[in-house]
Amino acid sequence: MGEDNARAADKERRRIKSADTMRDMMVKYYTEAKGAEGTGRHIAWITSGAPVEPLIAFDVIPVYPENHGAMCGASHMNVELCEVAEGRGFSRDLCSYARGDIGSAMTKGGPIGGLPRPTFLVACNNICNTVFKWYEELARFFDVPLFIYDTPFVRGDLPRHIADYALRQMEEYMGFLEEVTGRPYDEPHFVEVAAKSLFASALWKDVLACNEHKPAPMTCFDAFIMMAPIVTLRGTQEVVDFYQGLLDEMKQRIDEGIGILPSERYRLIWDNIPVWYEMRNLGRLFMELETCLVADTYTSAWTFEGVDVDKPLQSMSKIYTEVYLNINLERMADKIESLATRYGVDGMLMHSNRSCKPYSLGQYDLAREFAKRTGKPALIIEADHTDSRWYDRAQVENRIRDFVENLLGESVSV
Amino acid sequence: MDVQAIIDECMELWRDPYPHLARLRDEGQKPMAVFCSYTPEEIIHAAGFTPVRLMGSVRTITHADAHLQAYCCSLARTDLDMALAGELDYLEGAVFVQTCDTMMRLSDIWRRNTDFPFHGDLVLPIRMGEEVSLPFLEEEVRRFRHSVEEYTGESIWDDALEESIHIYNRNRRLADRLYKLRASSPGAIDGLSATAVVTAGFWMRREKHNEMLHELLEGLDTGKAAGNGKTPLFVSGSTCTTPDLMELLMELGAEVVDDDLCSGHRYFDNYVDEADTPEEALARRMWGRINCPAKHQCIEDRAEHMLRQVQDSGARGVVFFLQSFCEPHLFDVPYLRERLQDELDVPSLVLETELQSFSRGQLRTRLQAFIETISGV
Repeated sequence: MGEDNARAADKERRRIKSADTMRDMMVKYYTEAKGAEGTGRHIAWITSGAPVEPLIAFDVIPVYPENHGAMCGASHMNVELCEVAEGRGFSRDLCSYARGDIGSAMTKGGPIGGLPRPTFLVACNNICNTVFKWYEELARFFDVPLFIYDTPFVRGDLPRHIADYALRQMEEYMGFLEEVTGRPYDEPHFVEVAAKSLFASALWKDVLACNEHKPAPMTCFDAFIMMAPIVTLRGTQEVVDFYQGLLDEMKQRIDEGIGILPSERYRLIWDNIPVWYEMRNLGRLFMELETCLVADTYTSAWTFEGVDVDKPLQSMSKIYTEVYLNINLERMADKIESLATRYGVDGMLMHSNRSCKPYSLGQYDLAREFAKRTGKPALIIEADHTDSRWYDRAQVENRIRDFVENLLGESVSV
Repeated sequence: MDVQAIIDECMELWRDPYPHLARLRDEGQKPMAVFCSYTPEEIIHAAGFTPVRLMGSVRTITHADAHLQAYCCSLARTDLDMALAGELDYLEGAVFVQTCDTMMRLSDIWRRNTDFPFHGDLVLPIRMGEEVSLPFLEEEVRRFRHSVEEYTGESIWDDALEESIHIYNRNRRLADRLYKLRASSPGAIDGLSATAVVTAGFWMRREKHNEMLHELLEGLDTGKAAGNGKTPLFVSGSTCTTPDLMELLMELGAEVVDDDLCSGHRYFDNYVDEADTPEEALARRMWGRINCPAKHQCIEDRAEHMLRQVQDSGARGVVFFLQSFCEPHLFDVPYLRERLQDELDVPSLVLETELQSFSRGQLRTRLQAFIETISGV
């Protein structure tokens, strides 16, 4: 009994307390968004990589089908939603976020009874080209306007003509918002929102950097959960406050030597979107293997750099064009190498994600490049971010076990 | 050459263009691979290269699996496989155009793992036909021209480019005439042969293809009796890499009367304005084209265009012949099928295919049932 109590106390000591705050904030956000349906307030569905700050500045409620998709995936409800879309003729090979979202729109299905109906849509293809096809379908389904923010792929440095095109569209975006909301573009207010967004993003970056410490105060699985506010509501004061609180908690954990795992023996990078329906099982497995996923290429997508506040639209357009998935493999390899060095990892775990081609194609080459540059191994596992029908748990877990067991003082031949 | 000899030659190329491509080098040509109908082939042509289209092949993957997952399209996988196997060593290089996510990543993978002397990239907007994207697209065409010039170390003169534009426009006009014959003079040429002749052009110098088309059009008997009793069909998709589908349709008593394939009608649609400056005109053609599902025009355009095409062609059914894992096409299918059915009462069939596991038997069964339904047999 005493042992059980001690274990429970240790678990409580290691639990991240800010998670409660976040949960409350997200519940409040979804309740508000759902409540706004049918009122005079504008609701926009927007892709995760799209500029959300203008929506906040125009007092529009942003709603993220991808965040909702993660929620549907984590609650094991996305497959049935996908099947609805498949019944309408969408191929099983299409992104399961898109299929699940279309299925949810058609049936109001999912853990929160579907997302509130949008009054307009915003899609940015910096994360993939699937989003604009998906949003075209939503625009037809809801019969609402769609703004596409087109971010051409960047190889090497950002060329001038891409930057110009991105800026023109940012200006156009403001015009579009003026038109749909009937409000004028207010630059000082926009700068204020943008500043909060950047501040929140800087805090988020600091939070993630806390994991450079050994033992790591959290795993990237926690980061996947904690990123919800930076994705959905950056630009608001409550998000700034939340990340300040989270950062304080992480620093305190470091001071007190509290690691997220009872014992941390190996440190790994995670690549790609999480396997949402499998987080709990994988979390347990890594704990058992004394392995901490200390960094990832996913959550750091929301840490922005190189901002000129005097030119808010220009800065924003540059940031949004050069996100992780919109750059060439060499630049991606640089980022992964930098993570490996800063976080002192023993290897990398890559999720080859059937639902996400821009993230997954090229992983074999990146794995080799990673091994070449760092001397550490990489393992690639097959899954899908929310369609569990493609997942073979036994096989994945065995491969992870073998991989970690082989990490003992290993270096790899390239 | 008589008409049948031309058609036979084109059919042979379509069945397997690769031995022929390998011979181009020996004939003093410099073949440059292109993958997409948005490639400004005129620039490559004007620089002295012969643009040739890589449309995959029916084969077992041996090398590409180390670089591309099985859940990406077989065009990308088989093209890369041929390159890695050293079967395309006669190429001067390859030009990648940003359409889908697979092509975007394939460019990097190809560049990192092959040793062709030239590697070209062309990044396109997805917002076609909207004022905001035109200056960007023009600049991208200019940039691409510079990258070719940099590689050859020589300027591409405007008059050479204008000449190439003229040759390609002529090619488009001739192809269009040939395609239209199927409606205006039924019986003059069957759908399989017409498609073969247009497709074969991807693997030859465009001047030669123009001569061939010209000769064919001169030689065809356009006065033949109308109607051949076959069920008229429309084919939609990206490319028909092999003649299998259309041969099957012929065997089953159907006739392809028009298509929106990017290796077919979509390829030669729209002309480059020869009165405009070359780069601007090339950009404008791409910008004004419709019907590529990887591009956003406005939400309605593609369906409207296809419905009109189907109606004009007199097709009684539509076959969607799609590459597995091809997101842009697969996303459009439910909507297009719905509109075809609701507005034209035209039924459709969706066939997904992978080059490395092509099953003629299975295709036959499904096509037969579809054709029987339409023709009321």
